[in-house]
Amino acid sequence: MLDTLFEGFRLVFQTDVLIAIIGASIYGLVVGSLPGLSATMATALLVPVTFYMSPIAAVATIIAASAMAIFSGDIPGCLLRIPGTPASAAYTDEAFAMTKKGEAETALGICLWFSALGGIIGTISLIVMAPLLAEMAFKFSTFEYFWLAFLGLMCATLVARSSPPKAIAAMFLGLLVSCVGIENPAGTPRFTFGMTDLLGGIEVIPVLVGVFAVAEIMRGMALKDPPKIPHRKFGSILKGQWELTKTHKPQQVRGNIVGIIIGVLPGAGADMAAWVSYAMAKRFSKTPEKFGTGHPEGLIEAGASNNASLASGWVPSLLFGIPGDTITAIAIGVLYMKGLNPGPTLFTEKASSMYALYIIFIIANIIMIPLGIMMIRASSTVLRLPRYTVMSVIVLLCAVGSFATGNNLFLVVLVAIFGVIGYVMEKNGYPVAALVLGVVMGTMVEQSFVTSLIKSDGSIIPFFSRPVAAVLAAMTFAALLWPAVVWLMKKRRAALEPAAR
Amino acid sequence: MQISDRISGGGLAALGLVAFIYGSKLPPVRGQPVGPEVFPMVVGAGLMIFGVLIALGIGRSFEGANEVVAAEDGTTVEEKSAPFDLLTAFKVALPPALLLFYVFFSERIGFIPTAFVIVSSMCLALGARWKAALLMGLFAPPVIHLIFAKMLRVPLPAGLLPMPW
Amino acid sequence: MTDLTRRGFVASAAAAATAGVIAKPAIAQSAWPNRPVTVVVPWGAGGGTDATARIVSSILEKNLGQPFNVVNRTGGSGVVGHSAIATAAPDGYTIGMITVEITMMHHQGLTDLKHSSYTPLALMNEDPPGVQVKADGPFKDIKQLADFIKANPGKLKASGTGQGGIWHLALVGWLNAMGLKADAVPWVPSNGAAPAMQDLAAGGIDLVTCSVPEGKAMIDAGRARSLAIMAAQRNPLFPDVPTLNETLGINYSVGAWRGIAGPKGMPADVAAKLTAELKKAYDSNEFKDFMKARGFGTVWAPAQEFDAFMAKGDASMASAMKAAGLAKS
Repeated sequence: MLDTLFEGFRLVFQTDVLIAIIGASIYGLVVGSLPGLSATMATALLVPVTFYMSPIAAVATIIAASAMAIFSGDIPGCLLRIPGTPASAAYTDEAFAMTKKGEAETALGICLWFSALGGIIGTISLIVMAPLLAEMAFKFSTFEYFWLAFLGLMCATLVARSSPPKAIAAMFLGLLVSCVGIENPAGTPRFTFGMTDLLGGIEVIPVLVGVFAVAEIMRGMALKDPPKIPHRKFGSILKGQWELTKTHKPQQVRGNIVGIIIGVLPGAGADMAAWVSYAMAKRFSKTPEKFGTGHPEGLIEAGASNNASLASGWVPSLLFGIPGDTITAIAIGVLYMKGLNPGPTLFTEKASSMYALYIIFIIANIIMIPLGIMMIRASSTVLRLPRYTVMSVIVLLCAVGSFATGNNLFLVVLVAIFGVIGYVMEKNGYPVAALVLGVVMGTMVEQSFVTSLIKSDGSIIPFFSRPVAAVLAAMTFAALLWPAVVWLMKKRRAALEPAAR
Repeated sequence: MQISDRISGGGLAALGLVAFIYGSKLPPVRGQPVGPEVFPMVVGAGLMIFGVLIALGIGRSFEGANEVVAAEDGTTVEEKSAPFDLLTAFKVALPPALLLFYVFFSERIGFIPTAFVIVSSMCLALGARWKAALLMGLFAPPVIHLIFAKMLRVPLPAGLLPMPW
Repeated sequence: MTDLTRRGFVASAAAAATAGVIAKPAIAQSAWPNRPVTVVVPWGAGGGTDATARIVSSILEKNLGQPFNVVNRTGGSGVVGHSAIATAAPDGYTIGMITVEITMMHHQGLTDLKHSSYTPLALMNEDPPGVQVKADGPFKDIKQLADFIKANPGKLKASGTGQGGIWHLALVGWLNAMGLKADAVPWVPSNGAAPAMQDLAAGGIDLVTCSVPEGKAMIDAGRARSLAIMAAQRNPLFPDVPTLNETLGINYSVGAWRGIAGPKGMPADVAAKLTAELKKAYDSNEFKDFMKARGFGTVWAPAQEFDAFMAKGDASMASAMKAAGLAKS
């Protein structure tokens, strides 16, 4: 045991591995921070480079680059309201509100610090209870996924500061967008109007770039004098985080646990973890009215959950070769290529390599803090540049970045269309984050529902009779009924008050 | 582009109706108890219900004004928009229009000239001086080209002005 | 921009214009390649097709001294990328990796493109499907499973890919070969082989017809068992898994393949040179090691044979899709 651990350290502390970690980290930070370029994209572009590396260096490259890219996806979200990943869309408005108050560095500091902590805790869960978590993943069939997706959709009304009917309508609009194309359980083209480009459906990235980035620039065009962002000097980004860590323990622990659980389930992943955790933070908060105005609570919980889920997402990948998300799908390819075939033998016969992977995870999350602070300091100068320099370049980045995700100009058309949609929605009080949530979850809701019914020959009983499904169903109904209960209680109290007077 | 809830809600309900009807015409698939028609119909129905609720003004009490929290003291101020005249409308429409310009022209005239037009016209619309706009248009595109085409190997069209790298 | 052909045309015209600017002096020479070559991949970065295309391109790049840039043209469930290859200028500077879907999509009426829209260059890879079941389930061999299906049609559920995907058709073809109807084993669509294997282990479905390498990790983990493969011979990487022919006496084989092709009407000398170079790449240790590491099967068929291979595949897909009720006409 101790021998293999030392062997693991020896494997990691090689010059080529350490260079690979640092190089990939910087690369991940830069690419992830470019609006329109996702963490998946950053990882995929690294694969050809790994051909020429030793196995451990190759895997280290992927781990380091993906962890950094996910964090730095928060940077444009926070500074410019352009989320880099669907996961950060959940709390973009919150982070941007902090930026508008002049607290950009604090907001990014939260994203960084709690991401790193979440990543380390997620890794520890991976080390300690990988087999246990894997067992849990096998309790999940499509029946359970249906309830999970349904619960995810219900976050729509919680993440936005707007009227519930408008949030729900925006979510339905997102679901309608997810209907487009042939990637539905029936394999039937829907809403394609004979256009080849629509066959594959509308992906999340162009929607995200459109409704957030382009719409935000459009809003900015109409503002006569740009909102002055107060400039505050910060002594130390980390010092503030330490305070927040001490005062926000429950949020952090809850975020970590939710993140680890959702991360283990293939297909759910970091996107959903961030949404659910942000919504939970609001529901359990003592001051829910502060959410959306630049309040750190939700950011802490979502950040903690986000990166914890990234680490635990490796459990099914390493044990069974089942990718938790698109990034681990790429990583599995690299593992195979380098002879580190996923499977239980990886944990027994190649235990030293396995320890090396754990060590790399921890190292990546630790060096994320200094590198991230440098990145935050560098990127927040963006706020002090004349407005036209940043805005004009972002329009160009929106075009190039969305084009790059599929090398297809149609994606740029989609970005323009969703820019207009996002602008109109925003102006009329429809939350765009709810639309993004609908697009993210739509396919999962439909797929899990339809396939479950095929399996059960049309019976809905298994949705309630399977043990895990029953628990999730109960949670769903409780969450559905909760607002009604609150409303009734308020009404009763209101009715009682005059009598008491 | 402020429109009344009556119109936006009604529009959503109409969209829901279209989706419902479109969905109902999709052919069922053999071996699937729930075919491709159901999900669009459910979504369409949902849009109709909530569109009508919005049009009736239900839930409007939850909406706050479009406010920004000002710095130190945490008081809120209403975000000021310019009065919506023709010039503003043109400016607001500029970013999506420039994206479409990219779609139609990048492959004909190449990335660098297209990007020049996009960057310079955005700068001008945002009140930059001519010289600054020109400088931005000349310098920003090659940098972006370097990052995307060279480092990330995104195939950006060379067109009239291929880059030396 | 709905007019794909025109867009592709504009793209290639633009590319040709650039070529004129950069490489004017050399343009008349047959010294292909004298500028970078684009390799179009119709599927996303990071997948198996992408990985295969990238390893082939890196070998070509090394041997020919010009960059071979892999470009993922995604969208339209592969239609967009496939048509980008077909509509590019046939000058040898745009080639691409085409996949089994080209013999399937036109039967569904999704596109007019078919294998004859290309200049076939070489077939590089084919992976036959296996029949995977739960390890602790009741089925210990393929005969037992086949008998159960015959006795209880409609009882078992299968998965492995989306509705009408290659592994779905593999199942339908196998059932047909046994004289059964397509709905003897209802298909549960999934987002690829990995989620299907997970659902198999979670007890949601009864069998998965995906390639054996795709299920390898779960088989090694003792969660699943591969009963047979639908191929002419056993897979040397999985020597214990018998073929359908050995066990059931059914001579049925099918597979998901990947090959390199260019637009129709490429100059014969360029095509011949590319095929020769692809053969060199195929024989290289780099390619062999890579494919073995990923568990991908290697098959070689040069231009003419590749064409015949696709024609045969097209015909068998047509009948399988008709049987499954997926063909448009």
